[in-house]
Amino acid sequence: MKLWPYMLDLSIGPHDRERPIHLWLPLFLLWPPLVVLALLAFVVTIPVDAVLLLVGRPYHRFTLLAYRCFELLAETRGLSVRINADNNHIDMTFY
Amino acid sequence: MSEDRRRILNMLAEGKITAEEAEQLLDALTARASVAPEGEPSAGSAIKGDPSALIAALPKYLYVKVVSVQGDNVDVKVPLALVRSGLKLTSLIPPQAMNEINDQMSQHGMSIDFNNLKPEDIDELIEALREMEINVNSADGDNVRVYCA
Repeated sequence: MKLWPYMLDLSIGPHDRERPIHLWLPLFLLWPPLVVLALLAFVVTIPVDAVLLLVGRPYHRFTLLAYRCFELLAETRGLSVRINADNNHIDMTFY
Repeated sequence: MSEDRRRILNMLAEGKITAEEAEQLLDALTARASVAPEGEPSAGSAIKGDPSALIAALPKYLYVKVVSVQGDNVDVKVPLALVRSGLKLTSLIPPQAMNEINDQMSQHGMSIDFNNLKPEDIDELIEALREMEINVNSADGDNVRVYCA
């Protein structure tokens, strides 16, 4: 699994402004709570899936679903959105 | 098994490349082997050195560019891996939740049945996406372009 994005480069401001607001948001600070959240999610989903499997229910993929959700977060690395409209601009890139 | 073929399969096993990238590389390997002059070893020397150049040539991003006459521009670069992950996630949503999503989407005019999206179709869909290019030029002069690179 890839690492989650560690930085968000965010630039906001009007076109005519010489120096727009430029922020580097340290997303790696969110990693520890995300790890805790992932562990809590798996603590719930693994027993649920085990029970569903034992009783013969066809759907027992909550663990995989939770894993894929966290994987989806990781895949946002490289996502870039740039919008210029009404003399304003937003530039956002995940690293 | 040739060295190149083994290297590609190792990269696939290590997760460095996806199944469809491996397939493209193997196809490229076969194609090069078939056009190699007689007397040269076949697949064994089809790729010289590291095949990473071929991997780098594969599209990695989906670009959406909108340019309007009024000067408004939208430029979005989405990693194809994110698209693939999103589609895979869709195929894992519980059936009850999926039915609810389908109902809500059809109520809002989007009659897409995500139950028809099978995991085995996702790779094909991404593969087709790589070759897709949409260019829309409106009469007003607005331009929308969607492509992979």
